[in-house]
Amino acid sequence: MKVFEGKKGLLILGVIGGLMAMTLAIFGNPKNMALCIACFIRDIAGSMKLHQTVTVQYFRPEIVGIIGGSLVMSLARKEYKSTAGSSPMIRFFLGMMTMIGALVFLGCPLRMILRMAGGDLNAYIALIGFLAGIATGAFFLKKGYTLGRSYETRPVSGAAFTIVLAAALIVSVATGLFAMSQEGPGSQHAPILIALGCALVFGAAAQVSRMCFAGSFRNAIFTRDISMFLTILGVFAVMLIYNIASGQFQLTMEGQPVAHTEWIWNILGMYVVGFAATLAGGCPLRQLVLTGQGSSDAAVNVLGMLVGGAFAHNFQLASSAEGTTAGGRIVTVVMILLLFVIAAVHCKQEKEA
Amino acid sequence: MPRKKEERVVVTFHTTAAALKMETIAKRDGLPGKLISAPREMSAGCGLAWSSPADQKERIQALLISNRIGSEEITVLLC
Repeated sequence: MKVFEGKKGLLILGVIGGLMAMTLAIFGNPKNMALCIACFIRDIAGSMKLHQTVTVQYFRPEIVGIIGGSLVMSLARKEYKSTAGSSPMIRFFLGMMTMIGALVFLGCPLRMILRMAGGDLNAYIALIGFLAGIATGAFFLKKGYTLGRSYETRPVSGAAFTIVLAAALIVSVATGLFAMSQEGPGSQHAPILIALGCALVFGAAAQVSRMCFAGSFRNAIFTRDISMFLTILGVFAVMLIYNIASGQFQLTMEGQPVAHTEWIWNILGMYVVGFAATLAGGCPLRQLVLTGQGSSDAAVNVLGMLVGGAFAHNFQLASSAEGTTAGGRIVTVVMILLLFVIAAVHCKQEKEA
Repeated sequence: MPRKKEERVVVTFHTTAAALKMETIAKRDGLPGKLISAPREMSAGCGLAWSSPADQKERIQALLISNRIGSEEITVLLC
């Protein structure tokens, strides 16, 4: 559609994404957490009893919806391509680290933007770490870092993860098999059809716009082209207006919903996310969209995030409103070291880039 | 005033590393052009692409082969 082409189109798609996030906020998703890829994958891990934290267990339809929206849109635009084979194990570990870093900060890059739109100054501080992480990843890309190319596979292979996830959502709704929080963030959610519908639209918009929080800044570093920021600006602007209009905007560090004020760990947590996402070729949202488009490599990254979410809660690595944990702080430092090792090891010049 | 669009030859790659290698080779060999975000009409990815004036297509193809850079698609676009 012509209206979605060019720079104006990117902004419009961002505004559509923002309107979907706003709708989810109005209909019951947690404050400043209308849509958070990391938190919602962690909630799914809890619903499957991969972790036992009773306040964050719910099979979030939003994750299925975003992947599904991307699948439908990529099929409609003839962009669906089943691919695999680009260092899947490394991508799995990068997914785990992305998730644990996000849970030290308490949010993925998308939630960081939503928190910024709510006036949460901790998120503005975390942005420094996120951008620094991307810049570090870009440095290694310039040095020849690559996980290698992916190859085409049978079409159904690329859709397998999406199909299983959709089936699990149906099981969740029809049988109540999966755990569901009775209190805490996991108990706060929009009605399923609204959540699914909004996420389908959001996923479709993200597929068309190539929305990626890490890729936008990485491309700006290499091309000086900042047009990819327009989608993010659209989401931010809608949520900023909504928060001001609904009286939820408060420009503070203290008292923000599901957030802590330990600035150094907010920076380092998001440094891990920015670095790992750049090495994996996209932020958590982008990994969902790529999964929908048929990338099994991205699906493996999402599985890594699922396991990372379980680890973060089973071993008390995830932060809470009270602050970070000793384990979370130690693992954050270890992950930064590991990311440097992964980046350096994959920098050797290949015969064919 | 908006920039006037012109025909450019645009190359997309399987990996970001390949796009960055293309930039290095192009600078070394004096090939006019620059890295751009992969155009949405060419790629479903959010990666990088190489863009040169349209008359450089054959030279680019030769550079890709001689330097063993794996490209995904080469197209002339108005951009």
